[in-house]
Amino acid sequence: MKILILGGNGMLGPWAVSAMKERHDILLTDINEPRVDYQGEYLKLSADDVDGVVKAAKGMDVIVNLSVLRPDRQLAFDVNTLGNFAMMTAAREHRIKRVITTGPHYQMAGQQYEEWDFDLNPDMPPAPGTRLYAHTKALGQEVCRVFSKRHGIQVITLLYYNMKHSWNLGGPEAPVVPHQDMVPYSTAWQDCGTAVQAAVEVPEERLATRCETFFVLPDLPHGKFNNEKTKRVLGWQPRYHVEGLWNKDFRTPPDNLREAF
Amino acid sequence: MNVLITSAASATAQIIADALNGPHSLRLTDLLSSASGDIVGNELGHGSETDELVSGIDAIVNIGYEGQAGSATHLMDYHMRRMYNLLQAASDAGVKRFVNISTLRLYEDHEENLVVTEKWRTDPPAEDTVLLAAHMTEYVCKEFARDRLIQVVNLRLGWPFVDSNAAESSDSAAISHELIGAAVAETLVSEGLGQWQDVHVQSPVEHQRFITNTAAKLLPGIAERLTS
Repeated sequence: MKILILGGNGMLGPWAVSAMKERHDILLTDINEPRVDYQGEYLKLSADDVDGVVKAAKGMDVIVNLSVLRPDRQLAFDVNTLGNFAMMTAAREHRIKRVITTGPHYQMAGQQYEEWDFDLNPDMPPAPGTRLYAHTKALGQEVCRVFSKRHGIQVITLLYYNMKHSWNLGGPEAPVVPHQDMVPYSTAWQDCGTAVQAAVEVPEERLATRCETFFVLPDLPHGKFNNEKTKRVLGWQPRYHVEGLWNKDFRTPPDNLREAF
Repeated sequence: MNVLITSAASATAQIIADALNGPHSLRLTDLLSSASGDIVGNELGHGSETDELVSGIDAIVNIGYEGQAGSATHLMDYHMRRMYNLLQAASDAGVKRFVNISTLRLYEDHEENLVVTEKWRTDPPAEDTVLLAAHMTEYVCKEFARDRLIQVVNLRLGWPFVDSNAAESSDSAAISHELIGAAVAETLVSEGLGQWQDVHVQSPVEHQRFITNTAAKLLPGIAERLTS
């Protein structure tokens, strides 16, 4: 398939590209240049440039929006919200059947959910609250929902929380402290990327509605967030489970036989 | 009561300002490109100018539908980012009530024989950016109410606005200028409103499209005007 990626040179983009580059034709766009080792098509483009996104989307089968900007209020609205407006306008213009959008878990499961409840799942009504990042992303998702309902565009929203490097379990919060628990929604970067691939490739008949949301996390014992739908519908299987953070045992016990009997 | 009215150059704002002027002290504001005379120009940015705009204000009447004109991008930006800025500033300043003027056109695609009330989900069309923008303003407002930062009353008004006797209108969702003004005035002082409160208001007309029982209950000062 021909895939347009918006905001592809951020944190998630390289992992998504890595998962898909051998299987699809990718046009990578971003306001920042790609890594020097990226070999493929690149176009300098801001996600909120409606005309530019419409132009870039011509001939595409899927649009993937990975763009994100958090701290600045103007930029957050421009990128997180208007970026999705631009994407949906382009999808409508070119009759593109599927778009993938990404965001943080709390654009749906805001503080009112997270601080109170367990078994949180991606089919809950969104309650993002007013935190800038969550709020702007939630508005973007609502724009997608309205367009989807009116124009039949398949919208798949992938929600993430805490991304980890599989090799050292490092992530946004430093330093890493093994065996002391972690955010109960932590996902290895590689698995974040393969989730994008799964969303691009999932057969339409497996999607219950035109607008589906997924929590992207591995099996974790906390019972806080539920990933069942992601595995069942997208067929996504994480390779990494970051157990070094939530398990007291070392990954390789000295005698290699601990708990064997 | 000190009341701020946004998009003050718009026709809707002028109807409301005419009704509130006198009983209330009004501060009128609009974007710099539309401001003139008594209207204070303000871009509703996230800097101190918006904080100053809402300083000393008790309630805000926000024109959330057809207050602005321009490109689709401008409308979406105004109705989300600038609304967020305004609500954040208002919350920080302790403004008690935010009255968002929205529209019953968000239900326009529902069949007329349906008894649509505040309990029904709106269904904005993606291809009409003016309506989509109104819907997005409601979304922004609701999250501020959900976080209990400010009380929001979302007044969805009928259409079209008629300055004569609405009862003579052939439009089943018409609302008179007089009822618009009275409804907003009553909303500013009414007690018993929720943290987030949808209220539907239209004039009593033949084959009336939307029932207004919630308005009659929560805004008792206009109850008589809601019955023919």
